[in-house]
Amino acid sequence: MAALDDARTELVAALGADAVLHDPLALRLYARDASMVEGSAGLVVFVRSAEDVVVCMRVAARHDLPVVPRGSGTGLVGGATPIADAIVVVTAKMDRILEVRPEDRLAWVEPGVFNLDLADALRPTGFTYAPDPSSQQVSSIGGNVNTNAGGPHCLAYGVTSAHVLAVDVVLPDGSVGRFGAEAPAAPGYDLRGFVVGSEGTLGIVTAACVRLTPLPPAVRTMLLDFAEVEDCAQTVSAIIARGVVPAALEMMDRGIVRAVEDFAHAGYPTDAAAVLLVEVDGLPAAVDAQTREVEAAAREHLVGTIRVAADDTERALLWKGRKSAFGAIARIAPHYHLHDCVVPRKALADILAGVYAIAQRHDLIVTNVFHAGDGNLHPLFSFDRSVPGTLERVLAASDELVRLCVDAGGSLSGEHGIGLEKRDFMPLVFTADDLDAQACLRAAFDPDGRMNPRKVLPDGARCGDYAAAALGRDGALPEGTWI
Amino acid sequence: MDLIHPHSKRDVMDALRGASAADTRVLIVGGRQHIDKGNPSEADAELWTTLLDDRIAYDPAEMLCVVEAGMRVHDLRTMLAEGGQEWPVDGPDDATVGGVIAAGVTTVRQLRVGTMRDTIVEMEVVTGDGRLVKSGARTVKNVTGYDVHRLLTGSLGTLGTIVQIALKVRPLPKTARTLVINEGGLELGRRVLDAVPLPSAVLAEPDRLVVRLEGWPEEVEEQAAAARSIAAFGETEAPFPEACFPDATTVAEAAVVPSRLAQLLAGIDRYRAIMGVGVAWVPFEDEGALTKLRARAAELGGIAPAIRGPGGLGDAPIPAPEVERRIRAAMDPAGILAPGRTWST
Ligand SMILES: Cc1cc2nc3c(=O)[nH]c(=O)nc-3n(C[C@H](O)[C@H](O)[C@H](O)COP(=O)(O)OP(=O)(O)OC[C@H]3O[C@@H](n4cnc5c(N)ncnc54)[C@H](O)[C@@H]3O)c2cc1C
Repeated sequence: MAALDDARTELVAALGADAVLHDPLALRLYARDASMVEGSAGLVVFVRSAEDVVVCMRVAARHDLPVVPRGSGTGLVGGATPIADAIVVVTAKMDRILEVRPEDRLAWVEPGVFNLDLADALRPTGFTYAPDPSSQQVSSIGGNVNTNAGGPHCLAYGVTSAHVLAVDVVLPDGSVGRFGAEAPAAPGYDLRGFVVGSEGTLGIVTAACVRLTPLPPAVRTMLLDFAEVEDCAQTVSAIIARGVVPAALEMMDRGIVRAVEDFAHAGYPTDAAAVLLVEVDGLPAAVDAQTREVEAAAREHLVGTIRVAADDTERALLWKGRKSAFGAIARIAPHYHLHDCVVPRKALADILAGVYAIAQRHDLIVTNVFHAGDGNLHPLFSFDRSVPGTLERVLAASDELVRLCVDAGGSLSGEHGIGLEKRDFMPLVFTADDLDAQACLRAAFDPDGRMNPRKVLPDGARCGDYAAAALGRDGALPEGTWI
Repeated sequence: MDLIHPHSKRDVMDALRGASAADTRVLIVGGRQHIDKGNPSEADAELWTTLLDDRIAYDPAEMLCVVEAGMRVHDLRTMLAEGGQEWPVDGPDDATVGGVIAAGVTTVRQLRVGTMRDTIVEMEVVTGDGRLVKSGARTVKNVTGYDVHRLLTGSLGTLGTIVQIALKVRPLPKTARTLVINEGGLELGRRVLDAVPLPSAVLAEPDRLVVRLEGWPEEVEEQAAAARSIAAFGETEAPFPEACFPDATTVAEAAVVPSRLAQLLAGIDRYRAIMGVGVAWVPFEDEGALTKLRARAAELGGIAPAIRGPGGLGDAPIPAPEVERRIRAAMDPAGILAPGRTWST
């Protein structure tokens, strides 16, 4: 602990006492993110500038302490969960929009800015920041960048990486760099692209230059309901097969629709097996044409009713149903575990059947609300942790779920990332050579292995030359780490 | 100069393992369409990827295709057109898919279709010492491990041989029209860009403006009308994009933020600029002209590598040389892959 005490003294001297927390309550609060992994924080530091971050990195380097970056802590895989008494560097107070330049279609923002605040601030300029994770009211741009966050509108517009032109990064040794550029090309390797989605394991992002996307001239939102889940899932592929890529294509099953209706009163049909929320946008003529195709695809697959939002109020109401899903599930049971797998679109119907079977086998309540157009599933298990044996059943079901998706040609995560939760599944999709190469490239940024250690890669992924010590600094992971 | 012409990934692995052991410097070559891009570097052998041209998987309903890296752009285009789709990247027919990616080719229509780098969802690469490394996944969305393929994109053959890629493709537009007028300049280009919603490209030359419109027929009609409210555009059936200064032996590709194009191009009498994007191609006659263009680009926060003829990349500073050196060491420990060819090496 001596190193931690010394580090605290130096950080207090440099940043002030109110920027450095170490009381038990704070350490407890920052010991986890929105996943269920509990870690342990050594110190919690609130940074206000890139200079503050440099100070943190230097102090941590001097005392050989691990550093864990944290935005809003809404991550679902334990990415911001500290292990081994790490210094948690919170970027939430770096929350300024620095510059908006519609003429160059870009904006500079600090990492602590909330996603929705950015989109709201841009609206008067006729532009938006397209990625819209369901957590957008509270998740930070820094977190979004580091998880390569997705959202309903990423189907047509692409995920976060397509909207980040440059990042300012403080590396673990305290050096700083701007990766990427405002201009459409930059010298050197695409370090920007490598940092996006790296889950805080390469450095701390202190500013991001994001791309502005023109607001569409016209938008139409539709709610389609189906008596069979399978028809609903197949409509997704049928729409794409017609050469239409809607702005959003979200699916919700009966369980989630009922929970949402009780909560949001959006007028969703509670007797349908599943609904699709479809949004098309573009020029008015394109919106009409896409609507026709969507309706035709849905009819081929026995759609029940097609509700087209008549105006902005109704449109907002339909979206409210979708966006309040996570608030609504609190009514089902006190705890939930939200999954994130991605599969080929054509496998959706089979995978959903598999998800229901797994839940039944383990006697768990499962609901589904997800980005169907991307093949990105979010099965959500609701349960009460205090009932003995429940957690074990959730774990077993989760394990089966991951394997089911991988066997269908899918991947471990579509948008939440790997963090602690899924790192031990990495060998399901990568060879030892793949993982070793990833470990080496990570070590290129962080040779001492102090940056958010033990995340993303399983212990054992090694970099032959210089990263032997990068992973596996100490013994076993804390209990309950899986979930 | 030795020639390595592998038939399989296994051949590539064996060849590069051998080259690393023997310290043979290797230049990886695809369709030779972008071979001029990069700093001069000496090689003892060329590795041609052109026999690695198999289609591995293509399912239009997934909007993904998987091909070997030596497949020609033309062949890929034909294959995808059968599924009513395209890889929205404007590479020349004879280029290879791997070459387009390694060279970091600019997408002319990126206002509407996005950039090339965001179309790559999975990649297999053979490292300088012959290891096969995969990253990404065959899904449209994925956050699983480190995106090694991001580093390979634009790496000019200095981190490994790209042998296979999974690409995100998109539906072919229902209609495409190219408007043109023999009146030009950036000022008119800017006005067209402001007036026409969601164009695919607005290309400005000193005395010519080309507007590419793609989408649903009624939509394109509306856009064309908006363009014609600004200037008396005609229309051309010529393939888009047209070859870039085919008669010039030397061309630079400058990149600055869009609002600084005018400063970049002031006094230059031949250029083609992508409005709203900030890329401009400039043919140059001699090294002096290139140096001047580069200095101006640098002042404006940009770069101007040569993409045809001699001239190299220029010496723009890279942000983290130590990190890049270690990346290179991780992927090519013996340093045999075109040493000196990219900024950092
Ligand atoms: C109800 C709910 C709904 C959600 N919906 C979605 C969704 O639709 N799409 C989606 O993609 N995600 C979703 N998420 C997950 C989560 O919101 C995202 O992963 C989000 O991007 C995390 O942002 P954050 O600011 O909370 O980051 P945190 O949780 O604080 O951190 C996330 C990761 O980024 C790193 N990090 C954070 N800030 C920085 C920085 N400045 N520099 C370097 N590394 C940093 C952390 O170390 C960690 O690894 C949802 C979560 C919840 C609880």
